[in-house]
Amino acid sequence: MAEPTKATDADALSLLSLRGLTRRFGGLTAVDGIDLELNRGELVSIIGPNGAGKTTLFNLVTGLDRPDAGEVRLDGHRITGFAPEKLAGQGIARTFQLGRVFGNLSVMDNVLIGAHARLRAVQPAVPLIGPLLELGLALWRPAAVNAEEERLREEARGILARFGERLLPRLDQPAYSLSYANRRRVEIARALALKPRLLLLDEPTAGMNPTETTEMQALVAELKAEGLTILPIEHKLDMVMRLSDRVVVMDDGKKIAEGSGEDVRNDAGVIEAYLGHGLSRPQADDRETAA
Amino acid sequence: MSNVSRRTLVKASLASIVVGAAMSRATFAQSSEPILLGVSGPLTGPNAQYGAQWKQGFDLALDEIRAAGGINGRKLAYTFEDSQSDPRQSVAIAQKFVSDPRIVMELGDFSSPASMAASPIYQRAGLVQFGFTNSHPDFTKGGDFMWSTSVSQADEQPLLASYAVSHLGLKRLAVLHLNSDWGRTSRDYFVNAAKELGAETVITEGYIPDERDFRSTLVRVRDANPDGLILISYYSDGALIARQARQVGLKQTICASSSVYSPKFLELGGEAVENVHLGTRYFPDDPRPEVQKFVAGFKAKFNGQEPDAFNAYSYDAMNVAAAVVKIGGTDRRAIRDAFSKVRDVSTVIFGPATFDVATRRVKGGMNAELVVRKGQFVLWDGKQPT
Amino acid sequence: MSSWLDYTINGLIVGNVYALVAVGLALIFGVSRLINFAQGSIYLVGAYVGWVAVVRLQTPLVITIVLVAGVSALIGLLIERFGLRPLQNSVRIAPLLATIGISFVLDQIVMLTFSPNPRALPSQLPDIRFQIGAGTIGPLDILIAGIGLASAVLLFVFLRYSKLGWAVRATAQDRDAAMQMGVDVNRVNQAVFGIAAALGGVSGMLVGMYYNQIDTAMSLQATLKGVVAEVVGGAGNVPGAVIGSLLLGLVESYGIAIFGTSYRNLFSFVLLVAVLVFRPNGLFASAKRAPPEPLTGTFIAPSRPVHLPLWALLLAFTALALLPLLPVSSYVLQTLINAWLFAMLALSLTLVAGTSGQVSLGHAALLAIGAYTSALLSLDLAVPVGLAILCGGLMSAALGTLLISPSFRLRGHYVSIATLAIGEIISLIILNWETVTRGPIGISGIPPLSLFGHELVDTPQIYWFTLLVMVVLALLQMRLLGSHLGRGFRAIRDDDVAARAYGLSLNRYKALAFIFGGFAAGVSGGIAAHLYSYINHETFNTQQSILALTIVILGGLGNVAGAIVGSVALVGLPEVFRIAAEYRILIYGIVLLLLVRFRPQGLLGTI
Repeated sequence: MAEPTKATDADALSLLSLRGLTRRFGGLTAVDGIDLELNRGELVSIIGPNGAGKTTLFNLVTGLDRPDAGEVRLDGHRITGFAPEKLAGQGIARTFQLGRVFGNLSVMDNVLIGAHARLRAVQPAVPLIGPLLELGLALWRPAAVNAEEERLREEARGILARFGERLLPRLDQPAYSLSYANRRRVEIARALALKPRLLLLDEPTAGMNPTETTEMQALVAELKAEGLTILPIEHKLDMVMRLSDRVVVMDDGKKIAEGSGEDVRNDAGVIEAYLGHGLSRPQADDRETAA
Repeated sequence: MSNVSRRTLVKASLASIVVGAAMSRATFAQSSEPILLGVSGPLTGPNAQYGAQWKQGFDLALDEIRAAGGINGRKLAYTFEDSQSDPRQSVAIAQKFVSDPRIVMELGDFSSPASMAASPIYQRAGLVQFGFTNSHPDFTKGGDFMWSTSVSQADEQPLLASYAVSHLGLKRLAVLHLNSDWGRTSRDYFVNAAKELGAETVITEGYIPDERDFRSTLVRVRDANPDGLILISYYSDGALIARQARQVGLKQTICASSSVYSPKFLELGGEAVENVHLGTRYFPDDPRPEVQKFVAGFKAKFNGQEPDAFNAYSYDAMNVAAAVVKIGGTDRRAIRDAFSKVRDVSTVIFGPATFDVATRRVKGGMNAELVVRKGQFVLWDGKQPT
Repeated sequence: MSSWLDYTINGLIVGNVYALVAVGLALIFGVSRLINFAQGSIYLVGAYVGWVAVVRLQTPLVITIVLVAGVSALIGLLIERFGLRPLQNSVRIAPLLATIGISFVLDQIVMLTFSPNPRALPSQLPDIRFQIGAGTIGPLDILIAGIGLASAVLLFVFLRYSKLGWAVRATAQDRDAAMQMGVDVNRVNQAVFGIAAALGGVSGMLVGMYYNQIDTAMSLQATLKGVVAEVVGGAGNVPGAVIGSLLLGLVESYGIAIFGTSYRNLFSFVLLVAVLVFRPNGLFASAKRAPPEPLTGTFIAPSRPVHLPLWALLLAFTALALLPLLPVSSYVLQTLINAWLFAMLALSLTLVAGTSGQVSLGHAALLAIGAYTSALLSLDLAVPVGLAILCGGLMSAALGTLLISPSFRLRGHYVSIATLAIGEIISLIILNWETVTRGPIGISGIPPLSLFGHELVDTPQIYWFTLLVMVVLALLQMRLLGSHLGRGFRAIRDDDVAARAYGLSLNRYKALAFIFGGFAAGVSGGIAAHLYSYINHETFNTQQSILALTIVILGGLGNVAGAIVGSVALVGLPEVFRIAAEYRILIYGIVLLLLVRFRPQGLLGTI
C-alpha cells in the first residue's frame, strides 16, 4: 500500500490528489477526467450548476463509488476504490447532500458513531477472530474499554459544545426529533468526532436560512483556522468567496475553471455555465450511487 | 413489565389456575359423566382435512356405541384439541390432558413428530397415547403407554409387493414415494419385499408433499425403463402423478399403496386413474358384516358420502378404545393393562384385532386387491394388464 | 437423448405456470416497490371462485374467467385501499408485513369456508392432446402460455405507450414528483392492484384446472415460486418475469434430470440466492441501480420505548420464578416453557431484524441447526446434554451466519426474500443429507434434558431451566445493546451508507449480529430437541419464522422485554383461548395487520 512517491516538496504538502478521475453511467459521463490537488490546511470549494457531477466526485473520493478511470491519492498513498469504511480509518470524513443522520439514535450516539473508526480498546486488530474478540470485549467490558468509551463521550460533548446550546441540551433525544438545521449540525459533529485529516462537506448549508448559514460559515472558518483540510461543495457564492483558498468549477463532469475566487467569478466560461444552459440535461448529481 | 402485559399474564395465569382447580374437583364417582377421551390432532393448518375425517369416524363409532348402551351404562365422549400437528402444541395439549383427571386415554396425533414429541409426557404421567395414523416405526418404543393400531408398513408393503410382482407380473419397478418418514419407511420395506419376490427396483424418486409438477420426474422414471410404476402416495399426489404419467407418455401399469384409497382419488384423477391397481386394508364392498355396517352407517350419517381409509382408521380406533375402556374401566393404568387383554375386537382394518404385547401394535390387516374400472374401485378380477 | 427435449419442454411448461404469478408480482413491484406476499392468496381465491363458478354455477368458460377476474380485481382493490394505502407514510417494512398478514387472513377465510380438502376443478376445455416430444400437451397449456405471454406483452405496451402506463411508471420512480405533476397516484395504484389481482385470480383458476386440483396449500407455493421467478427476471420487469419463470422451470427440470426429484426446490432457492448475490437487479438489468437518498425527515419506526423500571422487572422475574410453587397446572407451565423457547428465538430475531434491520424470514432454520447438532452430538457421540446444547448454539452461530452471509450485501425487501430462501434451503439440505440427519425419518430417541448427570424430567424443573436460560440470554443481549455494538447495529439499520462512511463494515457487524442471535436461537432449538425427543426437517418451519416475526413486531422491534412479552402473548394466549383454535392463524394475521397499521412500534416500542 505504501507508495514512495514524495519526490518533491509540493508532493509532501499534498493531502488529496485526484488524477484523471472518470465515472460513466451508461452513455453519460458524470465525472470526466478530473484533476485536483488539495494541500494540507487548504479549503478548496467545488462549485458548479446542478448536475455537474460534484456529489459523484465526492462518492468517488470517499469510496462509495468506483471510478472507471483515474486515481485518488491520500497523502501520497493510492486509495482509489478503497471501501468507505477503510477510508474512515484513514481520516476522511464526509457529510451528505441531503443530510444522513441516524434517525433513531440519540444525538450523543450519532456523534459517537463518528468516532467508531478510532476505537482501539474494543476493536483489536487481530485477523480472523478480531470480530469475535470485539463481541467478547463488548460484553465483558474491561476497564480499558470503559475508559475509552468515557473518553469518547467527553470528546463528543466537547464537539457538541461548539454549537452552543443547540445540541447539548438534546444529547439523549433521537435525531429524528430535531429540526432540520440541528440535524445538519449533528452531521458535522459526527464528522468531527472522526478527527479527520480531510473533511468533505456536501452542501453544508443547503436548506438553511441566512442566520443558520452564517453560523455554519463561522464554524467552517474556525475549523480551517485549526488546520483542518476541507473540501466543500457549496452553492452560496459569498460563503465560497469568503472561505476558500481556491475555487474549482465543474460543469458537465469537467473542470472548467480553477483559481482564486475573484478569478473564477469573472471567468467567461463559468458565467456561461451558470447562466447559459438549456433545461433538458441529464442530471449526473442525482445518481448518488451507494456501493 | 408494563401494566398492560403484566395484567394479561396474571389474568391468564389466574384463569388457568381456576380452570385447573375446577377440573381436579370433578370425580368419576358421578356415573352420569361421560368417560372422556382426549384427542390431539389437526383441526387447522396443513393437515386439517385429516382431522375432519377423524371426527367423522369417531362420531359414527360413538353413535353406535351409544345405541348399544354405552360403556357399562356410561357415555363415551371425546374432546378434540387442535394441535395443527405441531409438536409445540401437541406437547402443551399432552400436559393439559394428563392433568385433567377426567381423561382416561389419549388418541392421536396425526403426524409422527407431533406424536413422538408428546410421548415422554404421556409416558411419565402414565396416560395411554393411542396412535392410529402416525406411522413412524419407533412410535411405540416411546414407552409402555404407547399403543398403536396404525398398520405397520412392515406388514403393508409386502402385500403391495405381492400384488405388483406376483400377481401383476411386474419385474422392473419404478417407485415414486412421498419423502416423509412414512414414505421412506414404506419404500424401504417395499423394495426389500419386491426383491425377495424376484423383482428389481430400477429407480426410486422421493417428492415433497406440496409438489404439483411431476413431469420431469416421470421422464426420469421413463428413462429407467420400468414395466410398472409403484406409488407410495396420498390420494392428491397420487392423482397428480397418474394424470401426468399419461401426459408424459408413460403407459406402464400403475400399482399404488392403500394410502391413495379414497373417493377423492377418483375425483381428482379422473380418467387418468383408470386401470390403476391398489391394495387396501379396507374396501366398502368387502362382504364382512363389520365393514358393511360401517359403510352403511357412514353413508346414512354423512349424506351418502362414502367413507375412505382415514375414516375407517378413526372408526376402528374409537371402537378399540371403547373395548379397552370396557375392560380397563377409568383407571389409567388399568387401561394400559387392558390393551394387552383385549381380544379380537371387531375392526374394519384388521378384522378381529388383538395387540401384540411385545410391539404394542396389531399385526396383519385385511387385504383387498382393487383396480379402478369405469371410474369405480372394484375388486381386481385377475385380468392381467395389457 | 430425446429426453433432454422432454426435460426442456417440461421445464417450459411448468415455467409457464410460474409466469402467471410472476407477472402479477412484477407489476405490483414495478409500481409500489412492494413484494406482494398476498399474491398467492389472490391466486388461491381465484381458484376457489373458479370452482364455485364451474361446479356450482356451471358457467361457460368465458363467463367463468370474467367472474374470477372480477372478484379477484375487487379483492385487489380492497387490499390496496384498506390494507396498503393507509401505510403509505408508514415505516418502510410495513407494507411487506401487511401483505403477509393479508395472505394469512385470505388463506384462512378460504380454508374456513371451503374446508382444506383438495378438490377437483374440471377444465372446461376440450380434452385434445398434442404430441410434443415423447409427451403431450393440451389446450390448457396453450391457454396458459397465451395468457402469460399476452399479459406480459399487453402490460409492456401499456406501460410504455399509454398515458396511464406512463403515470404508473412515473409513480414508481418518484411518487412525490408524480403527484406534483398532477398524477392521481391513488388511482394509479388502484388500477395496478386491480389488474395484478385479476391476473392472479385467473392464473389460480387456470392452474387449478390444469392440475385438476385445488387446495389451500397452493397459496404459499405459488408465492414462493413467483417471487423466485420475479427476482430472477428482475423485480418490476414484466417481460423479465416471464423469462425468469421459464428459466426457473428449466433449472428445476434439468436439476431433477441430473440429481433427482427431492432436490427440486433446492435448485429454485439456490438460483434465487445466486441471482440476489450476483445480479440483484435480475439477470436482464445492466447497471446496478442506486437506492435513492432518504429525504430528511423520513425515518423508520420512530418511537419512544416504554421504560420498564428495574423494580418492575425484578418483580416480574420473581413472580415467574415462583410460579411452579403455586398450585398451577403443568399445562400452564408447559405453555410458558413453549413461550420461553419461543422467546429465545424472538430475542434472536429482534436483535437481527429489529436492532440491526435485517428482517430475516428464515430464522427457524437457526433453530433447526441447533436442534440437529445437539441431538446428533448427544445420540451419536454421547456428549452430555448440557454441553451438546451449548454446541448447538455455537454451531448455529457459526454455520447459520455463514449460510446467511450471502444476504449481507442486500438491502430492504431483498434481505427478507434471501433469508426466506436460505431458510428453505437449510430445511431441504436437512431433508436430503441423509447420512447425517437421517433424512425424512428424522431423529428419534433423543436423550431428555439433563444437567451435570441429573435428568430434568419434572415439568417445574424444565420450566426453571428454560426460564433461566432465557433470562441469561436476555441480559446478555441488553448488555450488547448498551455497548458500542448496539450503537453500531442500529446505525447500520438506520442508514447503512452513512454507517459505512464512518467505519462500520457491514459484513462484520451483520455477521456479529447473526452470530449472537444464532447462538440464542441454536440454544433454543437444542433445548427443544431434548424436550421433544424427536425432530425432523419439518419440526422447525417457515410458519414459525413468520410467527417469530409477528412476536417481534408485537413486542417492538429491537426491544428485549418486548420479545419476551410478545412471546407470552402470542404463544400463551392462544393456549388460553383454545376455544378459538380453528381461528388461530386467522387471528395471527389480523393481529399482524392491526399492529402494522396502528402500532408498528409494537407494545413496548422500538429501540
